[in-house]
Amino acid sequence: MKKIEAVIKPFKLDEVKNALTKIGVQGMTVTEVKGFGRQKGHTEVYRGAEYKIDFLPKVKIELITTEEIVTQAIETIERAAKTGKIGDGKIFISPVEEVIRIRTGEHGRDAI
Amino acid sequence: MEPQLGITRSDVTDLKNRMARTGNTHSFPKEFLRQNSNMMDSLVRKAFQRAQLQADIPSICLIAVGGYGRGELAPHSDIDLLLLYPSTQKEGLPPLVEKILYPLWDLGLEVSCSSRSIHECLKMAQSDLHIKTSLIDGRYLDGEYELFRNATSRFMKNVLHRKIRQFAVSLEKELLIRHQKYEDPNYALEPNIKEGEGGLRDFQIGRWLIRAKYRTDRWDSILFPDHSQMLEKSVQFLWAVRNQLHLLSGRRLDDFTFEWQEKIAPILGFSHGTVGIEEMMRQYHLSSQKISNFVDNILDRILREPFWVKKIFFFFQQKKIDGHFGTANGELHLLDPATFKKDPAQLMTLFHHGQTYQAKMDFRTEEAVMEALPFIDESFRNSERVNQTFLSILKKKEKIGPLLRKMHELGFLSQFITEFSEIEGKVYYDLYHVHPVDIHSILAVEELAKLKEGDYQKEYPLLTSLTKEIEKPEMLFLSALLHDIGKGKEGDHSLIGAEMAKCIATRMGLSLEEKECIGFLVSHHLLMVETALRRDLHDEQIILRFAKEVENFDRLKLLYLLTFADIKAVGPEAWTSWKNSLLQELFLKTSHFFERESVSGHFLKKEESVKKLKQFISPEIFSEYGEHLPDRYFSSYSPEEITRHIEMANSIEKEHLLVEWETKQEVRSKVTVCTKDRYGLFSKITGSMFLNRLNILEAQIHTWGNGIALDTFWVEDATHDLERRLQHFKKDLGEILSGKVSLSVLLSKDKKSNGIKQKIVPRVPEEVKVDNQDSDFYTIVEVIGEDRLGILYDMTQGLTDHGCNIHFARISTLGNRIVDVFYVQDQWGEKIVEMNRIDQLKRTILSRLTTREESLS
Repeated sequence: MKKIEAVIKPFKLDEVKNALTKIGVQGMTVTEVKGFGRQKGHTEVYRGAEYKIDFLPKVKIELITTEEIVTQAIETIERAAKTGKIGDGKIFISPVEEVIRIRTGEHGRDAI
Repeated sequence: MEPQLGITRSDVTDLKNRMARTGNTHSFPKEFLRQNSNMMDSLVRKAFQRAQLQADIPSICLIAVGGYGRGELAPHSDIDLLLLYPSTQKEGLPPLVEKILYPLWDLGLEVSCSSRSIHECLKMAQSDLHIKTSLIDGRYLDGEYELFRNATSRFMKNVLHRKIRQFAVSLEKELLIRHQKYEDPNYALEPNIKEGEGGLRDFQIGRWLIRAKYRTDRWDSILFPDHSQMLEKSVQFLWAVRNQLHLLSGRRLDDFTFEWQEKIAPILGFSHGTVGIEEMMRQYHLSSQKISNFVDNILDRILREPFWVKKIFFFFQQKKIDGHFGTANGELHLLDPATFKKDPAQLMTLFHHGQTYQAKMDFRTEEAVMEALPFIDESFRNSERVNQTFLSILKKKEKIGPLLRKMHELGFLSQFITEFSEIEGKVYYDLYHVHPVDIHSILAVEELAKLKEGDYQKEYPLLTSLTKEIEKPEMLFLSALLHDIGKGKEGDHSLIGAEMAKCIATRMGLSLEEKECIGFLVSHHLLMVETALRRDLHDEQIILRFAKEVENFDRLKLLYLLTFADIKAVGPEAWTSWKNSLLQELFLKTSHFFERESVSGHFLKKEESVKKLKQFISPEIFSEYGEHLPDRYFSSYSPEEITRHIEMANSIEKEHLLVEWETKQEVRSKVTVCTKDRYGLFSKITGSMFLNRLNILEAQIHTWGNGIALDTFWVEDATHDLERRLQHFKKDLGEILSGKVSLSVLLSKDKKSNGIKQKIVPRVPEEVKVDNQDSDFYTIVEVIGEDRLGILYDMTQGLTDHGCNIHFARISTLGNRIVDVFYVQDQWGEKIVEMNRIDQLKRTILSRLTTREESLS
């Protein structure tokens, strides 16, 4: 099992969510986050004074998938979240040792 | 956990597997869907009855909706339920829903359930398309039947059979938005069985509309028996594929990706390997085409059918074109339905009118065309009148693309040019050819039409102006339509295609000269692109050889235009600015030859160059370098460039490496690397470029007599980040050459990681060709294989280890297929001619191609 975390542009959330649902992903966790990468924020001028906007709003989605589907899930996110411009975001993949559904106590892939 | 419905999760899986093993999934897919749906019915009913016992809500009704309602339940499709209650009832529902859903969820089923009163249902169905369509398929499962009956009859009367036109408009809108999403060429290769164009959802739309308009469930009742049979087969095929996708992947997967194409083809009875996959995908394309036609036809019937008031109005507005056709409301229609039967030749006249009057035909006329297809026989195909009309359509070239598409869609084109049916839906299992051959051929004609219309005036002015110099554009259009006609047969498709095209031309009554011209264009349609992309265009001999094959200037123009159309029609990424500039260079050099009978390149001869150089460079420096410069070097660069190179070489003593670059059009740079020659230098440069994701297009490698290596590269970076990547490359190469870091260590760090399965894509068969004819001084090695990280580094290292000096390299990437061409000599500066050395060379390269990741670790 793998955990996929993707930090994407907020307006791409719906598209990414829909695309993932279509390939059979059944659940995900979404968080509104702030951060910066190579995009490094930008400065805005307000009434003559410059303000540095350091952290840009992003959305982070997290999902756990089985090994079989992980490649397709990554590809799906890449395709749906891409605008080709700076700040499209990143995808992180890490191994997951165990998943437990609390209500039923199911383990492993049954609990995803 | 205690199984609540007397069945466990694994029981359900077992049941499904048992049903799957009967073979029904693909032999009788419809039957399988029904079985699966029946099985689900019993589970859902059990859950409902159990929940009813505990909750005790008397008047309530459970309805299956959506695909489940139709009884067409693919192995992992969603199960959509609707709980219907009388308007008064509200309490106690949420716990009931929970009690139904939980045990089903715990069985691993994808169940969703909404609960609505009849009133809510009807109200929402009027405004929400999704609710409306799911209700059409509603099916009674359990509970109070009277509620279901009441709701359905009111739904049909008040919602479904009203505002049918509006219903069609919203469905068409939904369809267009959905198709737009799947327009990406990736989806042409890996289509979505359900939502893509011509997918199962499209079929459903047609069915819903028939339900609404004709009040029948029998969609086939309003089509010709032939058509409904073919449609039925197409739908069955898609269902069979979808069943397999769900069963094999174990989830609701509708993307028909390469991985599953490979696995499913043998299951559906196609042969193993690439051939089977190509046959299967051909059937897929033909099937989805049928479904597309079906839904278009139904939408047309409802949307394009004018109201009766307008009909009367149009009747008076109607203009007669001739005895057979008339126009009204911008649409072309048939006056007498028996026209085609009496005189089939009128079919071609109809298309001609469509072009002349810029009018679409109404759906009744389209149906008449389809009905008349059997009248197209030998005498029709040989008829002078018909063929003259066809050629004049090509000649006029207005709206030629949409017109050919329509001919193709109605099945007319492949009846008229029977050879065309052999390439219909024909696909190649690779990443490069996005469209099936038939569509590709029509697209090629469209590209030419666009060029002629001036759509590409800004981007490709030369090509645009050439279209105006062509005497008989219809010959070019016809050649574009037929250029791949040989692809349905075994063997060299260009040569076979040329013979077929000549036969077709004879049938059409073309002159000998015209036939020869078409034959030439079809048989040589790959010559120009292969020469431009795989040969050194600085080599005069190559230009001469090419010019001899083309014979004259007119043919060169035609070939150049056809090459453009052919590549452009492959897919949006096939025609690159790099290919554009290489083809243009080849065209210009060859046209100089035809105009002046000489191949004077744009660079000067050695003596003239030297004369010029002496003006730029101080005599001491020139005398130090001049004698070391090889002849070939002079033909590749202008005196200005040579001057700069000598300056670079002169400062090499101080700095062991010099790298300069010049960027063109943001995505491409010409990089000059100057350093002292050493073993494996070229592969170290290519390795460092690869590390920095610089895509190498061309390399010229020169080693001067005094041990100076001067190499120029054309590189590209699609991400518009050339400057940063080149800076990094310079740093990396410096560190590698000075021995601070090892290239193989860096490369192994970059290796794709670890635990994540690679996406499955079509394999590319490896091939190595050795050519000693095209060049007097070099052996030309052509390598075709599957692209992967660091492949160029591997191959150049292989060539170096084999004792080859690489002098020129050109690299093209077509999807995941690479075609690399190297001009090489052995360590004594000779060609490699002996059979055993050639064999050995081939073996070395093949082993490098196939030892995938190993060489890096």
